[in-house]
Amino acid sequence: MDALATSALRLGDDSLVLGQRLSEWCGHAPALEIDLSLANCALDLIGQATHFLGLAGELEGKVRDADTLAYRRDVMDFTNCLLVEQQNGDFAHTIARQFLFSNYQELLFAGLTASKHARFAEIAAKAVKEVAYHAKLASDWVVRLGDGTDESRTRMIAALDWMWRFSDELFVMDEVDAALGIDKAALRPAWDRRIDAALAEAALERPSPRRGVMGGRAGHHSEQLGHLLSEMQFLQRSYPGATW
Amino acid sequence: MSALHKPPASRRSAMAHAGETSVVKIRAILADIPDPEIPAVSVLDLGIVREVTDDRVVITPTYTGCPATLYIEQAIRRALDANGFMHVRIETALSPPWSTDWISDEGREKLRAYGIAPPPKGAAAASLKNDQRAQCPRCGSLNTVEVSRFGSTPCKALWRCNACVEPFDRFKCH
Amino acid sequence: MYTTDLTGKKQAETVAEDPKKLAAFEARVANDEFIEPKDWMPEAYRKTLIRQISQHAHSEIVGMLPEGNWITRAPNLRRKAILIAKVQDEGGHGLYLYSAAETLGISRDEMTEALHAGKAKYSTIFNYPTLTWADIGAIGWLVDGAAIMNQVPLQRTSYGPYARAMVRICKEESFHQRQGYEIMMAMMAGTPDQQRMAQDAMNRWWWPALMMFGPPDDRSPNTEQSLRWRIKRETNDELRQKFVDITTPQAEAIGLKVPDPALKWNAKRGSYDFGEVDWEEFYAVVRGEGPVAKERMQARVNAWEDGAWVRDAARAHAEKRASAKVAAE
Ligand SMILES: [Fe+2]
Ligand SMILES: [Fe+2]
Repeated sequence: MDALATSALRLGDDSLVLGQRLSEWCGHAPALEIDLSLANCALDLIGQATHFLGLAGELEGKVRDADTLAYRRDVMDFTNCLLVEQQNGDFAHTIARQFLFSNYQELLFAGLTASKHARFAEIAAKAVKEVAYHAKLASDWVVRLGDGTDESRTRMIAALDWMWRFSDELFVMDEVDAALGIDKAALRPAWDRRIDAALAEAALERPSPRRGVMGGRAGHHSEQLGHLLSEMQFLQRSYPGATW
Repeated sequence: MSALHKPPASRRSAMAHAGETSVVKIRAILADIPDPEIPAVSVLDLGIVREVTDDRVVITPTYTGCPATLYIEQAIRRALDANGFMHVRIETALSPPWSTDWISDEGREKLRAYGIAPPPKGAAAASLKNDQRAQCPRCGSLNTVEVSRFGSTPCKALWRCNACVEPFDRFKCH
Repeated sequence: MYTTDLTGKKQAETVAEDPKKLAAFEARVANDEFIEPKDWMPEAYRKTLIRQISQHAHSEIVGMLPEGNWITRAPNLRRKAILIAKVQDEGGHGLYLYSAAETLGISRDEMTEALHAGKAKYSTIFNYPTLTWADIGAIGWLVDGAAIMNQVPLQRTSYGPYARAMVRICKEESFHQRQGYEIMMAMMAGTPDQQRMAQDAMNRWWWPALMMFGPPDDRSPNTEQSLRWRIKRETNDELRQKFVDITTPQAEAIGLKVPDPALKWNAKRGSYDFGEVDWEEFYAVVRGEGPVAKERMQARVNAWEDGAWVRDAARAHAEKRASAKVAAE
């Protein structure tokens, strides 16, 4: 797979895995309004994944379509970042994950809208409006939970502390990103400002710096991804060749 | 078409005219195709038809994950075929992204009459702010309150009117 | 989704109503007028409606569980998106209907408590498990189909907010039904494994779907008054017959067998004759003895209890904001 196809794959995998995670909440969220909002985010993400994986398949040479890429690859070929595959945990963990990721994704897509690669630019332009909602939703919840009750504050701190080590990976640049022409590292200051602004509003401290955990882009994942995939891919694996 | 094969001027205008009338006809067909979940409005009202020529119809999805998009495409295909426009292609374009500003004035009126508060215009930039009041589609009051940012279907939020107490859907700005 | 008429009890409330007001009310209803939230209405009417609308709302919410069970395992991206959107629709219907019930003077928290305490009913159909992907097709096609049949007459029900809600909700349910049928169609056109799953789902969901229209007319104590008040528009048996007549050819068209040996076209009636529903099973499920009734309620209660700290936090935060605003003014 060439660099551009791999770029599309990464973007698709991030959205797909996070969409899959969010959809696990369906019917079990703390309130009906939250249930609907998480389902809606999941739907947006699955939609984006379909576009990006479709594009990856085309760039690769039109052998694999979006479904083949989603359902017929194993862990080591998935290129999503480690953050999105983290388990839902309690609602604070889900929000911490969304907060760190959606703010990154919004900045990334906003940058991509100006990409010289038209196909990437148009998907990003479409998706950035949706992701802006996700970032707003997550940031609002960080503030509510951080500045809510003692319990919610304790949980929010623990959740941010858990997810924090996966944020460095979001901004790592390599030759694949260079081919796409987007400087991820350059997104970091804007991301920091957004994160700090929400944390300040929530009267929360930024988690202390620590060594980032990485490997997702190279297919080196946490133990959780295999379980997620075995559930997601079960029908395609059990009944190869069937059309649904 | 190369210069050599250019038809004479008289025929050209006849073709252009035929093209125009078929565009008018195709638009009339599209005006009769309802949205699958909100059939009070047509695909034209919603502004998801981006371009109509005598040999292609370009549509755009509302949301990237909107399940209605494929059904709309199928419905358009069926309607075109049934009216003898088998040669007209349907293409999907993502750019520029759809916005609720593309919903026609007629579409907005139809939504209101159907009981859904239409999105305010010039919405794209304002879409992240919660402070715009919806007008109750039933009694017209602006004394309304948002119950949930998300309702059934990705495009709607749930509101309630404090004047007539009616719950109502609001088409979200996007 | 829609709730079955589950009430076994007679309207016991004998509040003495002002006979003049009552007569005027009955006349308006008989005249096909809508009753609005701020209009006078007899207490028994209010209570019946609260029960019916809240049962309907609960059904939408509990109904998210059997289908939600398959979102993470949907067979391709398109089906996954469609299913997420459908379950979101159902949740949205629930939310809308809770709001409609609130116009009658009850709060959503009260209704939720009644559900969790086992005092409120919801549609019996959701106390059956979803075992294979074909169940998602069967639910969309049969369960949403039966729901539509129950709800279309309610578009002209006497209570304005409920009637208006039904108009829009029915359109969305029709979309769900189409998608469900499409799943069944794809599977019946597929491999022998897929066909087997589809037929098995048909076998398991057919009778519970017929139960969604409620007990037979001669055992449905509320029918008469509910018909007069236009809370109901057609009887349970009439609707059940209609469902069988419409659904049977749809099944046959894609090669599915209706699991009823007594099913037969009756040319004289212009309708299908069909076998007797297992009413003993129906009443058992209504009593809360459905195969996964306990699991469903457990899931709802767990979500509610595990989420209490989130709702508390949101409330506490809103109060802090409000008092900060007051202090600033
Ligand atoms: Fe529903
Ligand atoms: Fe439905």
